[in-house]
Amino acid sequence: MSSLSSSGRAARFPLQAFLSGLTSGAGVIVVIYLALYALYGYQQPRALSLPAIAALMNNTAPLALAAAGQALVVISRGFDLSVAGVVSICNVVLAVYPIGGPGGGLISVLICMAIGASVGAVNGWLVAVLRIQSIAATLSTMIICQGIALVILKAPGGAVSNWIADEMTDRLWKTIPVSGLVIAVVIAVWLAIRRTDFGLSIYAIGADEQAASLSGVNSRRVRFLTFVLAGIVYGLSGFMLSAQTATGNPTSGTPLLMLSFAAVALGGTSLAGGKGGVFASVMGAAVLMLLQKVLFSSGVSSFYTGMFQGIALILAVVFSGLLAHFGKRR
Amino acid sequence: MTGGGLGNAREVPLETGPFTLSASGLRKAYGATVALENADLGLKRGAVHALLGENGAGKSTLVRILTGAARSDAGAISLHGRSYSPQTLIEARAFGVATAFQELSLVANLSVAQNLLLPTLPHGPIGLVSSRRVLDAGASILDRHGLGRVNPAAQVGTLPLAERQRIEIVRAMENAKSVLILDEPTAALAETEWLFDRIRSMTAGGVAVLYISHRLAEVREICTEATVLRNGRSIASVDLADASDEDIFEMMVGRRIDHQNRTRRQPAGNEAGARLSVKGLGGRGLDDITFDLRPGEILGLAALEGQGQRGLFRMLSGLESPERGTVSIDGREVALSSPRAALKTGSGIAYLPEERKTEGILAGLSAATNVILPVMSAAARAGLISHQAEIAAARPAAAKVEMSDRYLGFAIADLSGGNQQKALVARTLATGAKTLLLYDPTRGVDVGTKQSIYAAIRAFAADGGSVLFYSSELPEVVQLADRCLVLYGGRIFRSFEGDDIAEQHLVAAMLGHSAGRGGSAR
Repeated sequence: MSSLSSSGRAARFPLQAFLSGLTSGAGVIVVIYLALYALYGYQQPRALSLPAIAALMNNTAPLALAAAGQALVVISRGFDLSVAGVVSICNVVLAVYPIGGPGGGLISVLICMAIGASVGAVNGWLVAVLRIQSIAATLSTMIICQGIALVILKAPGGAVSNWIADEMTDRLWKTIPVSGLVIAVVIAVWLAIRRTDFGLSIYAIGADEQAASLSGVNSRRVRFLTFVLAGIVYGLSGFMLSAQTATGNPTSGTPLLMLSFAAVALGGTSLAGGKGGVFASVMGAAVLMLLQKVLFSSGVSSFYTGMFQGIALILAVVFSGLLAHFGKRR
Repeated sequence: MTGGGLGNAREVPLETGPFTLSASGLRKAYGATVALENADLGLKRGAVHALLGENGAGKSTLVRILTGAARSDAGAISLHGRSYSPQTLIEARAFGVATAFQELSLVANLSVAQNLLLPTLPHGPIGLVSSRRVLDAGASILDRHGLGRVNPAAQVGTLPLAERQRIEIVRAMENAKSVLILDEPTAALAETEWLFDRIRSMTAGGVAVLYISHRLAEVREICTEATVLRNGRSIASVDLADASDEDIFEMMVGRRIDHQNRTRRQPAGNEAGARLSVKGLGGRGLDDITFDLRPGEILGLAALEGQGQRGLFRMLSGLESPERGTVSIDGREVALSSPRAALKTGSGIAYLPEERKTEGILAGLSAATNVILPVMSAAARAGLISHQAEIAAARPAAAKVEMSDRYLGFAIADLSGGNQQKALVARTLATGAKTLLLYDPTRGVDVGTKQSIYAAIRAFAADGGSVLFYSSELPEVVQLADRCLVLYGGRIFRSFEGDDIAEQHLVAAMLGHSAGRGGSAR
């Protein structure tokens, strides 16, 4: 009797592994993206050209990076609202103090990452050391950051250095979009981090902080570093946004706030922590941005974009929930 | 060589006497609550020492201090003759002191191997964690501890509770070079053979073991001496060979427990009078489950782990739907779609779940709120509910399980495990349901609490209520059940009534032996 049921379990295993692979990884969201892109390409054959792909990537990069950072914090069971503040500060700094040339570009990106890291460190200190709930702590830092951004630049204006605005939105050898490369580097770094003790610990504290601590994980340190790391990625997001807009706006980061959560959820990362990934969240962001394009090319008024993004979010979450359910059931 | 054995750096200096670890005068207060007042403890190299005491006696606090999760306010600990006051769990581990926690400390979304190796995983050539090496290392640890059947790549959250408990124990053993602390290691294990085997190989390697359990029979089997804690003080350290069970109970609770005078009632009932009637129930590893539960009857369910008892309780409580068969309440066939539906159907079915921490208590709320949760509206006035009203509404149910009123206002997470369990039993009683499904109702609670819960269950049945309970402890089935079903391989293998409910009969049936006196196969 028992041997019979255990052999039955073994036979069921491949399907279960396939389904759980599909749901735990980025399977669902990649499939959605490809389907959407096929639709887009059908409507606009020119969308398959290299310049169009690069333009879409440039459009996507700021949100994709914001979602990547957000995903880190969400996996560790937290929320990070400071993304809006960090992106705004980076944007106004680059617009008010442009530094020309490739060297200037390098210094600028380092400045952005440093801004993100500093805000992340404050978040990490508030959440990990002072044990303030992450949503309250990062809400405060977001408001402070937005205030700082307004102090640096009162009204939209200024100009980002030409080198950044041109090169960061260009294509290498007329094929590979630079913005896509930046995203790829972030994902590659994450995939490496994921395979470290630190990376695993992010998932562990996200699932059960107490159990993780009792297992010997230094949860305070892990949580702190997660916020710092997320801040650095937000810095990159601000950098890419500035390259895209080429100008400064003290509230430029605000639209990214809610959409970054939407992208994370769309990518199948559980907002309850412990599950999901950065790549899936980046794909979630890509779907949100592509959806805008598809709706636009279908002639749907842009007033409806938000509505469709919300509906897509609900459908994706329900769908991946169903898949997970059937994946778990034999 | 198993994980045991002393590291070279920590040989026992000769002048330290017999103790690997000795603690004296330990005290710990959380705010105004004194959890530990004055505790002494001495663990000998290669010996298993029991720590006994009611829930709330300070056992968990003592463990937390020894393991680096809490710091004592006063007192001293020495390990191998040197002062030992770990600030963190990692530090305690570095000293070779490791603990298998009662409320398991495994991370559910990680694999078995990853859990065993946390916080530092084996790395590949370029410094990244190598999943193959993690699996290999995990598999070799499992093999070394006789758990080769466990898939090291399996997610811990998907494993049955008993398997998780074994993995928790294995991990502690891997890290325990000097002192191994086992806090209720058999709470979810139906048999102790594997555990005792592992403990013996640890002690053979010179490790001192602190064994915390409420099951005295087990303690007698594996331990040589015991320290009894009561109200935060160490009452005595005794040689177990010299102390009778009654002596120990008396030291633990300060009064003698009466185990005798068990009268089994044989309620007269017929098919039509069955309160809960289950016919041909199947699915989730169960097949052809048929039985009746009559008013006033306490029906016990005995089984080894994983024989389908969990599925049966979840189906009857409305958490899962059966694939085949019918359930009738008071003669009417019903479909139980949710626990709430089960509660509202006919005379009602209330369910006490297995996992107190995750399925039972609502940690942030008060004990009173936890008790009256299912009947909240009854305690409300014009839809509003006050703290006083909650406590007043919870009081009768709390009284039935002998839960002191003063605990009702506290957050339930701050109460001891025993009081949490009392509150949960009180909750099922407060629902007013006439049928209770109790899944291991006294898991990990002390003797005194057990007696209170037994008394509440008997009183409930005497009032005409029906109880179906599963227990991982056979003495509990023997003591409490009017009738007992033995589940084996997803079927009701045997059923016993009256004086035939004896441990040796049940054990034989649980192992699938059909021989034996008295029982009748259904």
